[in-house]
Amino acid sequence: MKIVREALAGTLESSDLLVRIAPLEDGLELVLKSEVIHQFGPHIEKVARDCLARLGVTQALVVIEDKGALDCVVAARVQTAVSRAVDEWTPDWSALS
Amino acid sequence: MAEDCEELVFDTIEVAFFPRIRNELVELLGKCGLSIEEGVDTFVTCRFEGRLVGCAGLEANIVKCVAIDPLARGECISLKVVSEMIHVAHDLGHDHLFLYTRPNNISFFAGCGFYPIVEVPGLVTLMENTPIGIRSYSRSLARLRRDGATVGGIVINANPFTLGHRYLVEQAAAGCDVLHLFVVAEDASYFPYRDRFDLVREGVEGIPNLVLHPGSEYMISRATFSSYFFKEKNVVGDCFTAVDLLIFREHIAPALGITHRFVGTEPFCRTTNKYNADMKYWLQADLSGAPPVQVVEIERTEYGAVPISASEVRRLLAADDFDRIANLVPPTTLQLLATKYRTPRVSAA
Amino acid sequence: MKLRRSMLFLPGANAAMLSTAFVFKPDSIMFDLEDAVSLREKDAARMLVFHALRLPVYREMETVVRINPLSTPFGLKDLEAVVRAGVDVVRLPKTDTADDVHVLEAHVERIERECGREIGSTKLMAAIESASGVVNAVAIACSSPRLIGIALAGFDYVMDMQTERGDGTELFYARCAVLHAARYAKIDAFDVVFSDVNDDEGFLKEVDLIKRMGFDGKSLINPRQIDLLHNAYAPTQEEVDYASRVVAAAEAGERQGLGVVSLNGKMIDAPVIGHARVVLRRASASGVRQ
Repeated sequence: MKIVREALAGTLESSDLLVRIAPLEDGLELVLKSEVIHQFGPHIEKVARDCLARLGVTQALVVIEDKGALDCVVAARVQTAVSRAVDEWTPDWSALS
Repeated sequence: MAEDCEELVFDTIEVAFFPRIRNELVELLGKCGLSIEEGVDTFVTCRFEGRLVGCAGLEANIVKCVAIDPLARGECISLKVVSEMIHVAHDLGHDHLFLYTRPNNISFFAGCGFYPIVEVPGLVTLMENTPIGIRSYSRSLARLRRDGATVGGIVINANPFTLGHRYLVEQAAAGCDVLHLFVVAEDASYFPYRDRFDLVREGVEGIPNLVLHPGSEYMISRATFSSYFFKEKNVVGDCFTAVDLLIFREHIAPALGITHRFVGTEPFCRTTNKYNADMKYWLQADLSGAPPVQVVEIERTEYGAVPISASEVRRLLAADDFDRIANLVPPTTLQLLATKYRTPRVSAA
Repeated sequence: MKLRRSMLFLPGANAAMLSTAFVFKPDSIMFDLEDAVSLREKDAARMLVFHALRLPVYREMETVVRINPLSTPFGLKDLEAVVRAGVDVVRLPKTDTADDVHVLEAHVERIERECGREIGSTKLMAAIESASGVVNAVAIACSSPRLIGIALAGFDYVMDMQTERGDGTELFYARCAVLHAARYAKIDAFDVVFSDVNDDEGFLKEVDLIKRMGFDGKSLINPRQIDLLHNAYAPTQEEVDYASRVVAAAEAGERQGLGVVSLNGKMIDAPVIGHARVVLRRASASGVRQ
C-alpha cells in the first residue's frame, strides 16, 4: 500500500502510543521511542513492522512514541495511521488480526 | 484515575471570535507565568466540569502557550492536551511542529514526542516533534558537502535579488574554496519564496565554486526566529537571534564543513544590523560544543554613493521608478519586476 | 442463563481503559463506538476495539459493542469489524422499530457467512431511545431470536419526550414498557446509566427502584459502580435459604416426575422456581448482600 500523505494515530497517554507515518522514497524507516525501550523496544518494533508488512507498506517513515501500550494497541494504532495515510482504504479484517 | 480523565472536555477555538474564552485563557496562562501571544490564533482548550484547566496554542506550526492549571495538574491532563493539540495541528495541515521551552520543561515535552534541536544555555531550548527532523536535514546537506580549506556560507532573503547581493556573493566566493548559498524560505516577505529563489539562481550564474541551497525551516524561519520566548521573559537583545545562529553553528555548518559565514554590512535595517552583531557572538564565542564559524562582513556595494539595498528597490517599485531600479538590479530581476510586479499606472487620458 | 446485572461502558477510543478494564469484572463489558467517540476518532476506535475483542482476557467475558447507527457512515463499518472480531453481542443504538433490528440482523448474517462464523452466534441487543422505540417495544423485543435483551437509554429518550432527567418520573412509562416487552419476549431488560459518578446514594436509590421493578441490570459508566450494583442485587441470607429450598423441592419434584412441586405443603408455581434460580445465581456471583 502506498503512503501518500502524512498521518497520525493514537495519543501520548499512558498505555497508548502516537504513530506518525509519512511518505518516504527509499525504503521503510522506523523510529521508536518508548519508556520501556530497553525491555520491550525490539518487541514493539517487531509488532509494528509485522503490521506494516501485512499491509504491504514498504516505503514509509514511521515514528512511534510509545507509552507502554499492549501489542494489540500498537497494532491498532499502526493500522489506523496507515489507513489514514493511503488513498483508498478497504479493510481486510483477516489481514489485520 | 483514568475515568476522571474521561470527564475532560476538549474544544478547538479561534480565539479572536471568543473574547470571553480569551479572558479565561489569559487568566490560566497568568497562573502559569505566561501571557497570551498575539500571533496565536488557534487554541485547544480543556475543561473539567466547565472550568478551563488546560490549553495549548498554535501559531502556524509553532506550539505556544501550553498551560495546565496548577491546581489541576496531573499527567493525564497535560498529555491529553498535547495529544489533542498535535491532532488539531495535523488537521490544520501542520505536521512538523516546533516549540520553545524553558530548560525545566524539556523533560515534559520530551515525553510528548518533542526533541531538542538547540539550546541557548540556561535560557531556552527549541524542540521539534520528530526525532529525525534536524538530523535528516543535516544528512541531506552533507550530501552536498564539497571539500576545501575555506568553506563559506551565506544566507540571503533577496527580497528581491539586487546587484548588492550579486556583489556580496562574488566577494565571498572569491574568498573561499566552496561557498554555500541559502535563500530564506519563509514566505513572510513582499516577494514570494519561489520568485526570490529563481531570481537568486539566475542572478548568481557564472560565479564559481557556488552551491545554491533552498532554505528550510531550520534557517531564519518563523520557527527559528521567534521572538516568542524572549518577549515573554523580558529577555531582549542578545538572545533574540541566538536560536537561529546556534542551529547554523551546531547543525548546518558541521554538515557542510562551513568555516566562514559571510554577511553584508547593513546601514539601513536595524534588525539586520543587530543580527550581524549577534552573529559574531553566537557563531564565534566559546559557548558551544560545535567549532566556531568565523564571521566575515563585506562592505555593501554602492550606486551613486548610496549602498544598494532591496528595501530601496521595493520603494522604487512602489513609485514605479523603473529607470532607477535598472541601476540597482541585474536584468533578470528587472524583467520579473516589470512583467509581474509593475502596478499599471492610471492613464492620464 | 447468563447473569447480566452490570454492563460497563468503555469509550472505544481510550487505549488505557481498553487495556485494563477487564480487571473490574462486570457481567458484560460494552465497548462504545458511538457517543463516547468523537467523529475524528471513529476509525481509530473501531480498530482498537477490533483488537481488544481478540484479547484472551476479553474472550473470557461477555463482550458487547455499541455500534453507530446504520444510518451513519460508521455503523456498517463498525459491524463488519466487530462481528469478524468475535464480539458476543452487538448493541444497536436508537432502535425505533422492529425493522431496524431486521436490517441489522440481515447484515450480521451476511458477515457471519463471509467470515465463516457460526450463523446465529452473534447476539443482538436493542437500545430504545425514543417515544417510537418505547411504543414499539414489544415488536422490537420479539423481532429476532438473536436478541438477548433490550435497554432503555435515558438521555435521548427524555429529549425526544421534550423533558429532562429528574427523579425518575420522566422515565416511569418507558421503564414499564421496556420491562414488559422484555419479559413478554423472555429476554433481558436493562436500565439507563446513572451519570453522576460521585453520587453513590442517588445511584443506590435508583438501583433499588429498578431492581424492585424487575430489571435484570443496568448500564454503568464508572467501574466503581459495579460492586455497588452487584451488592444491591445480591440476595439476603434469608432469601438465599428460601430459594435453596424452593430449588431443592423443584428438583426433587422433577426427579419423581411430579407435575406439581410443593414446599411445606404449599404448591410452588413455575415463576417462583424461576425467580429462586435467579436469586441463587446472583448469590453465587457475588455472595449475600453486605
